[in-house]
Amino acid sequence: MPDVTNTAVTPEAAAATPAAPQLSKKPEKSRSLLQDAVRDLVRRPLFLIASGIIFVLLLMAAFPTFFASADPQLCELSRSLQKPSADAWFGYDARGCDVYARTIHGARTSITVGVLATVGSALIALLLGLVAGFYGRWVDALISRGIDIVMGIPFLVGAIVILNTFRDDDGFRTGGIWGVLTALTVLGWMSMARIMRSTVIQTKQADYVTAARSLGASTGRLMFRHVLPNALTPLIVLATISLGVIISVEATLSFLGVGIQEPTISWGVMINQSLGRIREALHPLLFPAGFVSVTVLAFIMLGDAVRDALDPKLR
Amino acid sequence: MRGAKSAKWVAGAIVVALAATACGSGSDEGKSGGEGGSGGAFSMNIAEPKRLVPQAATESGGSQVLSGLFTPLVEFDAQNQPVLAAAESIESTDNKVWTIKLKDATWHDGTPVTAKDYVGAWNWGAYGPNAADGNYFFGTIQGYDEMNPVDPDGDEGPKKAPEPSAKELSGLKAVDDKTIEVTLKAPFAGYKSVLGYTVFYPMPQSALTDIKAYEEAPIGQGPFQMDGKWEHDKAVKVKAYADYKLGEKPKVDAVEFRIYQDQNTAYNDLLANNLDVVDQIPTEVMGTAPSELGDRFKSSEASTFQFVAFPTYDKKFSDPRVRKAISMAIDRDEIIKVVFQNSQSSADAFVSPVVGGYREGACGDACKFNPTEAKKLLAEAGGIEGNKINIGHNADGGHEQWINATCDQLKKNLGIDCVGQAVPKFAELLKQVEEKKFSGMFRLGWIMDYPSMENYLGPLFSTDGSSNYYGYSNKDFDRLVQEGREAKTEAEAITKWQAAEDILVKDMPVIPLRFGKNVFGHSTNVKNVEMNLFNQVELTKVEKA
Amino acid sequence: MGRYVLRRLLQMVPVIIGTTFLVFALVTEMGGDPVQNLYGERPVPESIRVALTAQYHLDDPLPVRYGYYVSGLLQGDFGTSLSGSRPISEMIADAWPETLKVAGIAFVFEMVVGVAAGVLAGMRRGKFLDNLVLLSTLTVIAVPIFVLGQTAQIFLGVKAGIFPVSGTNEGFMSYLLPGLVLGSVSLAYIARLARASVAENLRMDYVRTAKAKGLSPTRITGVHVLRNSLIPVVTFLGADLGTLMGGAIVTERIFNIPGVGYNLFKAIQIEDGPALVGFVTLLVLVYVVMALVVDLLYAVLDPRIRYA
Repeated sequence: MPDVTNTAVTPEAAAATPAAPQLSKKPEKSRSLLQDAVRDLVRRPLFLIASGIIFVLLLMAAFPTFFASADPQLCELSRSLQKPSADAWFGYDARGCDVYARTIHGARTSITVGVLATVGSALIALLLGLVAGFYGRWVDALISRGIDIVMGIPFLVGAIVILNTFRDDDGFRTGGIWGVLTALTVLGWMSMARIMRSTVIQTKQADYVTAARSLGASTGRLMFRHVLPNALTPLIVLATISLGVIISVEATLSFLGVGIQEPTISWGVMINQSLGRIREALHPLLFPAGFVSVTVLAFIMLGDAVRDALDPKLR
Repeated sequence: MRGAKSAKWVAGAIVVALAATACGSGSDEGKSGGEGGSGGAFSMNIAEPKRLVPQAATESGGSQVLSGLFTPLVEFDAQNQPVLAAAESIESTDNKVWTIKLKDATWHDGTPVTAKDYVGAWNWGAYGPNAADGNYFFGTIQGYDEMNPVDPDGDEGPKKAPEPSAKELSGLKAVDDKTIEVTLKAPFAGYKSVLGYTVFYPMPQSALTDIKAYEEAPIGQGPFQMDGKWEHDKAVKVKAYADYKLGEKPKVDAVEFRIYQDQNTAYNDLLANNLDVVDQIPTEVMGTAPSELGDRFKSSEASTFQFVAFPTYDKKFSDPRVRKAISMAIDRDEIIKVVFQNSQSSADAFVSPVVGGYREGACGDACKFNPTEAKKLLAEAGGIEGNKINIGHNADGGHEQWINATCDQLKKNLGIDCVGQAVPKFAELLKQVEEKKFSGMFRLGWIMDYPSMENYLGPLFSTDGSSNYYGYSNKDFDRLVQEGREAKTEAEAITKWQAAEDILVKDMPVIPLRFGKNVFGHSTNVKNVEMNLFNQVELTKVEKA
Repeated sequence: MGRYVLRRLLQMVPVIIGTTFLVFALVTEMGGDPVQNLYGERPVPESIRVALTAQYHLDDPLPVRYGYYVSGLLQGDFGTSLSGSRPISEMIADAWPETLKVAGIAFVFEMVVGVAAGVLAGMRRGKFLDNLVLLSTLTVIAVPIFVLGQTAQIFLGVKAGIFPVSGTNEGFMSYLLPGLVLGSVSLAYIARLARASVAENLRMDYVRTAKAKGLSPTRITGVHVLRNSLIPVVTFLGADLGTLMGGAIVTERIFNIPGVGYNLFKAIQIEDGPALVGFVTLLVLVYVVMALVVDLLYAVLDPRIRYA
């Protein structure tokens, strides 16, 4: 990947700026930078821990039965709210389901929804924010006012309408993850887009951008090579945090009967179901909430590490 | 989530719960209410009323407030028999033409209450275009149909419904200042009990000219009068009416109805002694409430009836043996103990124990938990198509827990697959049932309007019953219910209705699950807090401690 | 500059038309049955369905209904709510001030604490303080707000009696706890944003220059770094203030604040088109104004940014 980009860009850059030694150096520097970044990353303990955790979570999502032998759908009221034991490591919830088995099986839904919705909305935000901030004027006005409109729509209204379109043959909401994923992506990008726009506006005033522009760098090159990498930090920060928030918003949708439904299990749904009885037993809440925390933490650490490694100013 | 009280359907309906919502009390330098103590006032929680017009207030918040502002024609004694309140006498020779004589009473503004005030209010409620929630209560009176024409070609048809041809009920007359004559479409021996309901309160004639202005501060003839205006989403305050003559005077000077969005919040305020009465302890805290409240934790009988219905259009459930097997595979007691923390009781009949004619165990073995028999019965019937069932419920009603638990029991005891299927709102559940799309069972609940077996059997199970959403139809049943209505004496009526209930036991159109209770609590500032069958706090009985 | 502001204000017109129409369309698309919603689980008599349908134009095609709404709006009439037929303008006038009070407290709290925590963490990257901020913000993210709100209410309100349990009777104190709970949601975002921004700016050439010039570290961070780091934070705060003023369904519910969130949720539940559109119109106004204020702030924070 790095090689392809560089071979594609270097000659063009060299041709565009033959008389600029400083600039023609830049791609070269960034090539070694990218390679450095990878080399650097694998040496960082933070990165290794984070990717280790994420790897395990992904394994859980892919092969839940390998981690938990108990059936997450086998619930008996007689075991309601039993404390953790050797039989059930995380105890039983109010309905008498094995919390451990459900937590493991919930990983697939929560991680898929969380990661894909985050990536999806971050991409929308990146593109719109970059274009609005970079071009300014009517393009910016159009996109920015568009953001205002979408922000003005109450999330629940938008979500219900989107989820309404995901129905099975009988006309029922499917209760699967795709509807929720779409709703969270389509309605979740606006803050990130605004942040992206703001940093792009700030970055494009920077001296090196002005320099590159005056040296005749193409618009695309300015946008993607000079402005974008230097404007990414806030977006990455927001995106890594959104992951956790998305998991709890997903729970809210289930609570209202439009989100993920039985028999699909997710951490959000588990947190929701255990809330009512927190006065009597905390463990059905703590375990899924703990997994949410660990997941979010891992992604924040990963985001930090990747950002640091890619940041040219750090070296 | 609170139930829609008075009215028919037990809600869980968010409409009520949320419509109810809103906040604490008015910000007038926090007098009385919370702190209790001085002035002999107490506070209780309600949901934001939808309307404060008697004929349009069938939900819990509104009818609780109005129960303080008005005195009904009849009230009910400990045996749930009607006793006269605002009426001097209610008589009929043929159970068809009823003559109501009124006691002397005055409106809160001092003017006398007349028969015309009743007639005017009832006509307002019965007139279709006014869209009053209590409209259907007047459906048994002659002339109702002319005021509520039906769209000739149904909802979907191109023709609009015709204008009503009458503005007044032909069967309703003010004979003189103190006498009302009601002519019913068909004889009904139990009509006296019906008259206890909120929608049969009067309104001063002046109210009808500007109903919107009236309901901001309704004038009634009851023990309490408005103290200021309705503070939307915050509070309704009332004070004792000095010239009240229709019954017992209240023991306190004032009541503040505080509007809450969430019962849990109200409960927390009760724990902190900031609120004096909570009319429904949320299920979530039921496990800890008895120890937190001690002897201030109370419960009394209520009329709620919770059940699961079978869609008649679905062949899957057409064999009564299948329906019985499902019923017998549900361990009601376990669900009540674990999920509801004993705040409800197992249903063993098709009518609530609060009405005359209820027979303990009327449902027989079909409502008793017996997994082995259930499995046998299902095998005899050849199992269930697809070996899988759904139970539908509205997500806004907080039913998820018990529906899931019920499914778990069915999975275990019948060896079939079962999924609880949530639909966001009751309206949507209803729509899918009406379009015959729902391929599964679905939950429903009922709260009575008046204490009579007929109020369960008629609307829920007769062919043209207003809430018979599942389409149950049995001619013998319909005939028996009607004969009961027209019977000369109550005993005779009950015999007919019990025979009708026996048909239900045989057919099992629904699975009776639970009877509700009022589970409520009060602060240390008050005593003698009681709740009646209509899930209302008896305001005049409450005393300062 | 003046012309820029004027142009931006003019842009509000199409935005409001666009949003109200979109919301109207979406509510119609929700495809429910507003009349049945009003009735909960009770049956709706046919005649009443007809009356309500006519009264609220529920049967008319979308453009016609929108036309009714706009013509009312032009006469200063927001219409009446489906539930209880209250005038929507009155509902807004009651609910808005309540929400503003909670939102104000939440905003100040998240801004002061969030920025302070973020700046400190950014200056001490990888140190104990940084990790402490990371962990505490994580807790807030992982614990859903309903848990946080209820726990705070039970422990600080009921048990300790420090705060009123609920309601709006006790002035400032009534709004304090809900405000803090609400503000804690965005705290994590602001702290992390500020941290990343500060850390990045600390490595900039101008900081090295300032150091070389012998400026005090307090002045370097307090003036130069902070000012240059604030743009993303200010952007987020601007968007968030809009969100806060949109009311918080969960927080308002737990603490029984009769604000915008409560009204919006109620309107969504019964598919109350007029009420929903009324509140949303106001919200969009707030979003547009906030976006303008934030854009103008960019020029203050970074003099290189100019608006023509």
